[in-house]
Amino acid sequence: MRSGGRRPASAASGGARPAGGWALRLLRNALLWLVPVWALWALAAPAYNRLLLASGEALLHLVESPDVTDLLPRRGGHEAYVARRDFPPARTLVRAFRVTDLHFHLVLLGALFLAVPGVPWRRRLRNLGWAALATAVFDLLLLVVFVESVYATGLGDWSRAHAGPFARNAWGLAEHLLDLPLKLALPFTLWAAFYVRLLFERRDPS
Amino acid sequence: MNDRAVEPFTGWVARASGAALDLLGQDVRMEGTVIRGERFAVNIRNGCNGVETLLIFAAAVLAFPAPWRARLLGLAAGAVLIQLVNLVRVVALFLTGAYLPELFDASHTVVWQTLVVLFGVLLWVLWADRVALRRTAAG
Repeated sequence: MRSGGRRPASAASGGARPAGGWALRLLRNALLWLVPVWALWALAAPAYNRLLLASGEALLHLVESPDVTDLLPRRGGHEAYVARRDFPPARTLVRAFRVTDLHFHLVLLGALFLAVPGVPWRRRLRNLGWAALATAVFDLLLLVVFVESVYATGLGDWSRAHAGPFARNAWGLAEHLLDLPLKLALPFTLWAAFYVRLLFERRDPS
Repeated sequence: MNDRAVEPFTGWVARASGAALDLLGQDVRMEGTVIRGERFAVNIRNGCNGVETLLIFAAAVLAFPAPWRARLLGLAAGAVLIQLVNLVRVVALFLTGAYLPELFDASHTVVWQTLVVLFGVLLWVLWADRVALRRTAAG
């Protein structure tokens, strides 16, 4: 990933505007962008969920043997079942979960990336595209780890028979870290990777 | 760590939220980390106690090249402000669950998590710009 070679016009001009103004405009823009980005995300969520479930299922089939996991959409595509074809018919659906909850950090990502003042639109959108791609990869990883943690920790005797104490702890910890701190920190981390230098450039025109 | 530090802290968050709801005329009682009212009950758990946002904010403050005085100021102010916003979140979620239960799930997961983390991020930007870099330049 890269943040583009050219400096934005306003940053390159150093102290043309007070840096405090830049931060406050960023704050205002982020709040203003929150609602349209949320609306766009809500509209796109069912399609993104289907893409995520299909990709997640394909990835799970690559790492499991035999490949028995199905990720079945339900309730208009916002929720899904983790299903195992090797379980008795009455117990095939092993866990229901809300797919939309996996990727709401895209709202934060969009608002932050679109809010940056003094950066040309073309570059803003290009950076957002790279960040969204990285986030989609993260979402896919989170989905796979979620399913594996269900298998390792959430199926009672079956989990204990198929996963040792280390595996149960490792999958549980990985799911917790990915689903809470890392998922919430990712938009900020990506934003900082692209834009934190603007803070310094505004202070140090050299 | 979770049992010795996070859970007691979450209990404190729950008690503070319960006290705020009492001030707003909600007749609630506390059961550990559960706030129970006549119409609704919430259990404050990891993810609802503001700790994740606080950790993200603290990591960003500590990683930023700034004088230690500015970092400590940022950590102290950030901890207080983030917990205040989190208090508003818990109170708002309780009221949403009590009076607009159909909106609770979306508010709980999407709206308030986004708002609290966004608050932490923007607070860091303001701190970096207004406090850290100014003190660095002055020093």
